[in-house]
Amino acid sequence: MSTTDVPSEIPRPQTKAAGQVAVPAMKWVTLALMTTSSVASLRSAPTMAVYGLACVFLYIVPAIVFLLPTALVSAELASGWSGGVYRWVSEGLSKPLGFLAVWCQFAMTIFYYPSLLAYVASTIAYVIDPSLASDGVYTAIVIMVLYWTGVWVSSRGTKAVAGLSSWGLVIGTLVPGTILVVLGLVFLGQGNASAAPMGASHLFPQWTGLASLVLIVNNFLSYSGMEMNAVHVSSLRNPAREYPRSMFLAMALVLLIFILPALAISWVVPSDQLSLTAGVMQAFDAFFSYFHVGWLTPIAAVMLVAAALGGMLTWLAGPSKGLLLISREEGYLPPFLQKLNKNGIQQNILVTQGVVTTAIALMYALIPDVSSAYWIFSVITTQVYLIVYLLMFAAAIRLRRTRPDHPRGYRAPALTLLCAVGLVASLAALVIGFVPSSQFGGSSVWTYIGIIGGGLVVLGLLIPWLFLRFRKPNWRTAAATADEGSAV
Amino acid sequence: MSPTRFASEHRWIYLYAILLLLALVVIGLIQYDGVKTTNEAHRKANQLSDALVAAGYSAPDTGGIVRTLGTDGGNVCDDPATALKSSLWKINLSNGSSGPGQRPVISDRRVVEAEALVLGVYCPDRLDRIQDRLDALRTDDTVRR
Repeated sequence: MSTTDVPSEIPRPQTKAAGQVAVPAMKWVTLALMTTSSVASLRSAPTMAVYGLACVFLYIVPAIVFLLPTALVSAELASGWSGGVYRWVSEGLSKPLGFLAVWCQFAMTIFYYPSLLAYVASTIAYVIDPSLASDGVYTAIVIMVLYWTGVWVSSRGTKAVAGLSSWGLVIGTLVPGTILVVLGLVFLGQGNASAAPMGASHLFPQWTGLASLVLIVNNFLSYSGMEMNAVHVSSLRNPAREYPRSMFLAMALVLLIFILPALAISWVVPSDQLSLTAGVMQAFDAFFSYFHVGWLTPIAAVMLVAAALGGMLTWLAGPSKGLLLISREEGYLPPFLQKLNKNGIQQNILVTQGVVTTAIALMYALIPDVSSAYWIFSVITTQVYLIVYLLMFAAAIRLRRTRPDHPRGYRAPALTLLCAVGLVASLAALVIGFVPSSQFGGSSVWTYIGIIGGGLVVLGLLIPWLFLRFRKPNWRTAAATADEGSAV
Repeated sequence: MSPTRFASEHRWIYLYAILLLLALVVIGLIQYDGVKTTNEAHRKANQLSDALVAAGYSAPDTGGIVRTLGTDGGNVCDDPATALKSSLWKINLSNGSSGPGQRPVISDRRVVEAEALVLGVYCPDRLDRIQDRLDALRTDDTVRR
């Protein structure tokens, strides 16, 4: 694929720079589906079904303290400034912090893809031959093929990503989710007692001190990614009005997708039959087998694969675009990484990210010690992602104070309070991330803190600092300068 | 790029994606092997039910166990001790996120115990290989029963 410097898909300023190609406008519903696809799927439904009715609490409380602030604050920011989190933080705090924000959003996905695609590989193995799930070579091949196909699709343009991720959500999450809920209601309608107790006292999770706190606070992160697709806000016809709309729709969909299917599974399948080790498909098999439609399980598996791949596409397209935009404006990345392909996509960032992801994925699939310990990267990367939220909420407060008259299509009510709640929630999640989880067993707490803290510092602070330290003035590209300061 | 070319190229991407998914569905339906409700399956379901009750769990629906686990434990016994399978189930001992917010939590003790009981009845050899990893998990009573 050839590369060119024509930025056809960077945010559209009010006055187009010469040579820019008009971007096909995206519908706000499509952006809502993309956002939902980035955040929610049925993958977590069996995990949360174990908690029965308490899963409602475990999703609603984080929704109040984290989802609501994230969605409303990003809706206000996106309705006032194009470009997503990098620009909000750049305008509100500083440009280096804007780079830090988008770097953290980007960097954590590098470790996310191998685990996501390993799950996809195991789900495909369930369909073809379950014994393949233990085969490192098979897993490595599937990860490679799917990841690089995703990079190729992303390089075709935002519209390809938007279409496939939206359909992935519909086919892979909304349709099977609706089937689960309808069958669950049929189960109750037939006069069967719910497998999980549904009394009012079971609305709250068991309180056991630290373990319960870890569960509740870590669930805040269920909603991480709600702001990510704001980088595409300039593709909307009327961003100021349409982005908030898309956020409200996405918020409602995410809540429905998380809560209702998990509840439906908990009605039908007792928690002691939701296997800890057999994965998501065993829960679906147990569910469908009750209704004597076990043959639906492989179809559901294919649907879940579609949803996971659709979600992956949004993550490939979003943070890398934000990283490109600020790097072109400020020269934070070498010119090679700022090159665009003929579709205006940050192809070289995607390919470079792909090389790193490939190396990590190969180690994950082929080296048992790496795969066994891979869960720890999910702690480190979520810690890194929380830096984005801390910066975003701080930037929102500052922008309201320093630029109160800047035109915004939507103004979040009680923004300072929302940001304060979001900041406290993010800080709480950051602190609780240092509490050793089940997988760490009884090993030293300080070792755990050292690993997580070290990973956080290296991935979230040291690497972006090195980019900032060694940037060169001539890395700043003229094409991007035209965009600087452009508002929606 | 002209709108026509743009739409045309994307049509091919959609078409390939649909064909690939449909092929997987067909393979899945051909490969799907429903659990046989044999006497052996009922015997093992009763054995598991007794083990669960003895461990303090409420009596499960043995019909449901038969349909799900059959005679060989199905997917549950598909060697959870291998490195990749261990990796997957360890990653899934997590919060309610299905995206990059997925993060480990402290799992429920009784769920881990129930898993060991299932493995003990349906594939004791597999339990032997994974018992130390289950024992090493830090757990607590996080599910209200």
